[in-house]
Amino acid sequence: MAADASAPTLATRLRRPSAVGALGGLFVLALLAWLAVNAERTPADFLEVFLIGITTGCVYALVALGYTLVYGILELINFAHGDVFMLGGMFSITYATHFFGLHTGQGVLIIPIVFATLLLAMISCGLINAAIEFVAYRPLRGKPRLAPLITAIGMSFVIQDVGLIWKGPNYITAPDVFPRSKVFSIGGVDYTWNKLIVVVITIPVLLGLLYLVQRTRQGKAMRATAQDMDASAMMGINVNRTISFTFLIAGGLAGAAGLLYSLYVTTVRYDQGFQLGLIAFTAAVLGGVGNLPGAVLGAILIGLIQAFNEGLNWHAPGSDWTQSIVFSILILILVFRPEGLLGERTPEGG
Amino acid sequence: MSTNGRTPILQLTDVHTYYGAIHALKGISLEVYEGEIVTLLGANGAGKSTTLRSINGLNRPRQGSIRFEGRDITTVAAHQIVKRGIAQSPEGRRLFPRMTVVENLEMGAFQRNDRPGIREDMDRVFELFPRLQERRDQKAGTMSGGEQQMCAIGRALMARPKLLLLDEPSLGLAPIFVERIFEIIHQINEQGTSILLVEQNALMALDAAHRGYVLETGHIVLADDAKALKTNEQVRKTYLGET
Repeated sequence: MAADASAPTLATRLRRPSAVGALGGLFVLALLAWLAVNAERTPADFLEVFLIGITTGCVYALVALGYTLVYGILELINFAHGDVFMLGGMFSITYATHFFGLHTGQGVLIIPIVFATLLLAMISCGLINAAIEFVAYRPLRGKPRLAPLITAIGMSFVIQDVGLIWKGPNYITAPDVFPRSKVFSIGGVDYTWNKLIVVVITIPVLLGLLYLVQRTRQGKAMRATAQDMDASAMMGINVNRTISFTFLIAGGLAGAAGLLYSLYVTTVRYDQGFQLGLIAFTAAVLGGVGNLPGAVLGAILIGLIQAFNEGLNWHAPGSDWTQSIVFSILILILVFRPEGLLGERTPEGG
Repeated sequence: MSTNGRTPILQLTDVHTYYGAIHALKGISLEVYEGEIVTLLGANGAGKSTTLRSINGLNRPRQGSIRFEGRDITTVAAHQIVKRGIAQSPEGRRLFPRMTVVENLEMGAFQRNDRPGIREDMDRVFELFPRLQERRDQKAGTMSGGEQQMCAIGRALMARPKLLLLDEPSLGLAPIFVERIFEIIHQINEQGTSILLVEQNALMALDAAHRGYVLETGHIVLADDAKALKTNEQVRKTYLGET
């Protein structure tokens, strides 16, 4: 009888032909039609924009996963997370240029330098994120949910100011080391190394995370704690340590995103984390907050939407509208499908 | 039922526990001896669950002491209690809803490292609850209440506890499941595990238990052999529904 609870929910969802659903379907159809017309008129541009979207989506995915991991375990929107990502960018530039002397024209030497920087940036951001939890959120455990939320906003400002004091109010630039030569061409469009490197670094990080959460003892402890904290303690799981570990991992992902962003976009400023953080948070909500594959899917979609909006020629609203579009998506999702694209309503509300 | 001369496996002495600002336990003293089933009876809010939360470390007493196998565990952290040999099937079951039955059972053995022993205990749980074996790969949150209760008890057994805390194992279950659960409780006890049982269904609990305590607003008002409690007039009136 209770063989599969997700089946009936899906069925009821499909069987409900509401006006809202019809409108939503129409909207998606219109969007696809718009994309098809663009693809037909300027196929080369379309492909190029598509590849840019995937690349930005990868950076968003790394940040979005941090939101989703922390939300999954504490039901806290860690507003400071975007700013930890910003620090990751600053760490990356500092480590790469000051420690390792990264500059353009080094040839293959950039490979070990980028990897060493990646590692250091991930460790630095992971430790900072865990420290934030320890100092700002742990003392508020068990308090009304608004308290840690406001504290998170406060921490966001604190970290922005740290960035401001450390690197000043202007953009700092990273050496433009990722080569822009082509890897391969499809339909007359070159896929360049700098985009490929972003994807090539993102994918193993994502797979590593998946392995960690699905297969390891710590990962099991994380999943259990996210589903029921008291029951986890009864099983012998050290809940506080598991939460620290989760913040460490989330911070590490933000550090990786910071490195990729700083080397791909080549500029970093103290206030960029907040905005990118909000976009990544939207991606996490779009995919279903607390759901790891959902965060990646949501991030890729948001990356594509942004790229299509800014890069296509035929009736694209343009970059002035990107923010409005992204946050309209957030509102629509929260109103009509708060569990996100891949999220599920669990019987116990878990 | 002779408890004289033996040392209790679990001993609570004058335990005071607060639930937020509420003084929930006002000096509870009780014992569980090795091999016993002891039941805690009482109305909602009498302090039964708080007693269990005091023992398992989730709600630390402000005063009094809790000793397990002769060692003080009053201030031991919740996640270390299970290693000492106390496992719990909590009220409302509290399974990990998005994990499968097997994963839930594995979580019960989280602090153990002996793979062969864990396998053995998993087989033992499946022997006690054949239904769980049929549903081994199903998400725990999608099972019926009775199946979830079986899984929760099985999960607690996976810790290979010396003392099993059962909080309302029959709550919300169909009568046929209630009887089955109590049969299982009996079996688990026969295999050598001491049990502290909190139960709304006083009749079933007193049938299963060796001894019982009656809680009222944070105090123990009665303590006796289960048989004696069953015939106690006050208990019959209040908990067994006689007029």
